[in-house]
Amino acid sequence: MKEKYIQILSILLTAFYGFFVIFLYWAEPKSVEEVSIKAQSTVENAVTKGQVFAGTYEIDQTKYNEALSAFRRDNFVAARDGFDKADPEKRDSNTQFYIAYSFYRQGWGRFSNDDALFKQGLDALDRVVLLNRNFNSADPSLQLKTPAVLRNELEEGLKITSDDFNPFKAFRDRK
Amino acid sequence: MEQNQSSHPETYTEELNEISGRIIDADILINPGTEIEKTDSVSKSGNQRIYLIYLFLPCVFLTVALLGGLRLSPVDNSFIFLKPPLFCLIFAVIMLVLFLRAGLMRLDGWFSEDFPLIKNLANAAVLLTLFAATTQLFNSLLPEQGLPFWIVAFCFFWTLWNNLFAYFDTKKLLRSLGALFGLAFVAKYLILANLTAPESEGWFRGVIENPTKEAFTWLLDLPGFSAGTGYIQFFAAVFYLAGLYLLPQTTKIESPAASIHPKD
Repeated sequence: MKEKYIQILSILLTAFYGFFVIFLYWAEPKSVEEVSIKAQSTVENAVTKGQVFAGTYEIDQTKYNEALSAFRRDNFVAARDGFDKADPEKRDSNTQFYIAYSFYRQGWGRFSNDDALFKQGLDALDRVVLLNRNFNSADPSLQLKTPAVLRNELEEGLKITSDDFNPFKAFRDRK
Repeated sequence: MEQNQSSHPETYTEELNEISGRIIDADILINPGTEIEKTDSVSKSGNQRIYLIYLFLPCVFLTVALLGGLRLSPVDNSFIFLKPPLFCLIFAVIMLVLFLRAGLMRLDGWFSEDFPLIKNLANAAVLLTLFAATTQLFNSLLPEQGLPFWIVAFCFFWTLWNNLFAYFDTKKLLRSLGALFGLAFVAKYLILANLTAPESEGWFRGVIENPTKEAFTWLLDLPGFSAGTGYIQFFAAVFYLAGLYLLPQTTKIESPAASIHPKD
């Protein structure tokens, strides 16, 4: 074989083996079986990142629909898990809005709200605004259709005011 | 005749050379394959050298890079990949400078404007693997944490720093490195590993069963690894030293003399 071809082969071999070594130290698999699992997830992740970079990124519609049905059944933990899987790169404002909304609905209480969930809801809303400043939900089942309205609801829920001690508040409805 | 030899020794030698040259020429005429075989053997050895430099050595060094940070868990022998601390990178740089100073490799023999771009790139890739392997070898031989890490790291630094300013030839350098790495291996995988307490069901039981080892483990902050770790690291060190031994001074193949490494 010509020297030049051997040198090209050497560069390719070094790059391939080198990336494999770096991958092992990055992924830290615990066994030989885990190497293939980690490799698969890394490739999927890289493909998604590549799609974002190329501008062809799309959410997984099947997982999105499953998550949406879980959201409508008030199974918010499963819904958020599904939304996260449908939009792993957190690039879809609609999906992120549902995640924020799920925090609101799960954290809402007739007598008191779950502050931790409301704060996570605010974080998710920040992402929505970053992705689409003029976002407006098309879902008729949601009463709070824009990030601003939902933010107001979440922030009000976090505050302690004299209105919180109003006994009639117990008769209010979740939005 | 004897008189002739003693009075004209140069003439006699020339005559002898001429005669031997004629014999060789005659041999070539009788066996035309002889010259071709000679050329073939030269090109074969050149080819072998290219395979060694560009295929075998990167594989060896990258295998060392792979194994150097690998440990086995004492509980279930699962893999633990330890990334090298910053110290290892510094030591690896010092080692490369040491290789150049001692003549283990010549910079102008690995990179040159006369070389084609591909050759320079391939050489850079080989040296990159050498750097990675050196880093990971230090990662392998340095204790992971605590007081032993700092003591051994200081000893390495002291030795390498002294070596930088000492006169070395390649043979002495390889011997010195063999001794240095051998001692570090014994210190970590025989002495410190034997001072580490085995995994026990509870702290109290461990203290009752192995009071000394428990005390050393606690005092020296020794991490426990499976016995297989020592075997893996032994082969990592052996592969590294073998790779260093096979590393040529230069990648120039035009002059056969340059390919002969003065390690012997």
